[in-house]
Amino acid sequence: MSDISLISGANHGKASARGVRIWDLPVRLFHWGLVAGVSTALVTGFLAEEWYLYIHNWAGYTIAFLISFRLIWGFFGSKYARFASFIFTPKETIGHIKEFARGNSAHYSGHNPAGALMVFALLAVLLLLTVSGVIILGGQENLGALAGFVSFEIGAFLVEIHELLAWSLMLLIIAHVAGMIIESRISGENLARAMVTGNKKDASNQPITMPVSTIVLRAVVIAAIVGGAGFALYQKYSAVPASGLVKLVPNETYNSECGDCHYAYHPSLLPRSSWQGIMANLENHFGEDASLDAETVKSLSAWLNENSSEIWDTEAANNLRKVSPKAPLSISETPYWQSRHSEINKNVFKQTNIGTKGNCIACHSDAKTGRFDDAAISIPPPKPNT
Amino acid sequence: MKKTLLVISTAVMVALAAPAFAGAKQDAVMDHYKKLAKGSFSAERGKAFYSAVHTGGKPATPSCTSCHTKSPTGTGQTRANKPIAPMALSKSPDRFGDLKKVEKWFGRNCRSVLGRECTVQEKGDFLAFMYSQ
Ligand code: HEC
Ligand code: HEC
Ligand code: HEC
Repeated sequence: MSDISLISGANHGKASARGVRIWDLPVRLFHWGLVAGVSTALVTGFLAEEWYLYIHNWAGYTIAFLISFRLIWGFFGSKYARFASFIFTPKETIGHIKEFARGNSAHYSGHNPAGALMVFALLAVLLLLTVSGVIILGGQENLGALAGFVSFEIGAFLVEIHELLAWSLMLLIIAHVAGMIIESRISGENLARAMVTGNKKDASNQPITMPVSTIVLRAVVIAAIVGGAGFALYQKYSAVPASGLVKLVPNETYNSECGDCHYAYHPSLLPRSSWQGIMANLENHFGEDASLDAETVKSLSAWLNENSSEIWDTEAANNLRKVSPKAPLSISETPYWQSRHSEINKNVFKQTNIGTKGNCIACHSDAKTGRFDDAAISIPPPKPNT
Repeated sequence: MKKTLLVISTAVMVALAAPAFAGAKQDAVMDHYKKLAKGSFSAERGKAFYSAVHTGGKPATPSCTSCHTKSPTGTGQTRANKPIAPMALSKSPDRFGDLKKVEKWFGRNCRSVLGRECTVQEKGDFLAFMYSQ
């Protein structure tokens, strides 16, 4: 066995007991980088609290970068990295799968037809996932490169598709790993290890011929172009103001008159009818008297009327427009508020440094802007009573 | 001219009578109530009024101390958990300088605590207590 690999080594560069070079370094870095990125995205997407969204986003940007790189590397990489080396006819593919099911498989140095199909399926699903992800981020959260272009509604619609794609991805990954294990058994070649070392033991494989220096140079140039272009596009488009946020003229009267007893609630958190109800009942305001002179009431009512949730397209405004029929003046009684905070222990709200559900700003550091970003949520740790 | 003399002389008198925490604005507010009152104000009565548990108001707030803490020098807290700077003038020298603001809060807080407007006497006693603290 080692004799044969020595012979093939005589043909092409260094070969030894370690085997024959099949996967170039960029392909391997891509593969394992993708494993890390996709695992992170799946775990944060399905399991983690939504306030870890920014980790999910970074995983998504990493995946987008890797996929873009790989699409170009498929034309400029070494032999087995090129798409041309693993495009098979449908007949070949079906034949291979049939053979495979019977427990034997013709030998391929690079991707076999079933593996190739998997590569294209994974690339396609991941491409759709990252694109839909950026659209959702822009529409629902008013964040990222598309914040200025996508409405909440489109974002909300794509959430379903994004989820469906994520489930398909998981099925593909299971099939990919299963196929890899079976193929390894059949061929006696540990394919997972081959993707780490880059080498296949069986010396009948044709090694790649592109010099390492060429590979590294090309990969660095392509990575720089992809990264640079991605960064420039992100910079350019994320500079456009988020479409869901209205430019709010600061109202000092509101901030002081409605900010004495609690943080001055952002006007996008309730619909017009609720604000009017609040302004008409200040003598009996959530168990307290908060009355104001008629003139101030009138001017604040007008301002709230103009800036209520109806004119905002943020996640909070869209969801909080539906109030509770029993307590139509309350934000924290709305069905959405209740469902989003249902997992928080009741005692947390009684903590001395929180005190009440209405103290949004204790947990949402961006409450004054009305954004209520996931990344701005943090429940303060309980303080010992003083 | 006569008016300024009057203001200055009352200021001096008040300053002599009590620890000098009150500035000119605070004195002007006090004068407003003095003019409306029949008798004089007492910090002692103000203290009792401040600490008393009242009925007739909103159930969550039976006393001024519900929000302003037992000691007027302490930092209070609204029912929505926002801190309230101490009422004692020694701790918060900017308080009680704006009659409109003082009246707004007497109106709200008295209705919340007592279920009615405070009398001039109650207001004056309360202020006298806070000015002395
Ligand atoms: C005198 C004190 C006071 C003032 C002044 C005041 N509020 Fe309030 N407000 C409260 C209290 C107390 C609550 C109940 C908070 C809680 O239980 O979390 C409340 C609750 C609210 C809520 C509901 C919050 C929730 O948890 O859903 C809104 C909305 C609100 N206030 C709006 C206003 C507006 C608008 C103004 C100005 C016109 C104002 N408030 C002025 C004391 C006040
Ligand atoms: C005790 C801390 C706490 C308080 C007080 C609080 N929140 Fe939250 N809020 C949270 C947490 C934690 C989440 C995330 C829940 C999750 O994702 O499971 C959340 C989620 C939200 C969301 C959804 C954000 C998103 O992008 O998914 C909105 C909107 C929101 N809160 C609004 C409010 C408003 C308005 C108030 C005040 C009336 C408030 N919250 C008070 C802790 C708090
Ligand atoms: C529900 C809570 C609450 C209760 C009960 C309460 N207050 Fe207040 N009070 C406040 C808040 C909040 C302010 C405004 C705080 C600030 O300006 O920093 C205030 C301000 C005042 C002011 C104006 C201070 C200034 O700087 O001009 C006066 C006077 C006052 N309160 C009197 C009273 C009296 C008298 C009582 C009892 C009858 C009382 N308060 C009970 C919450 C309360």
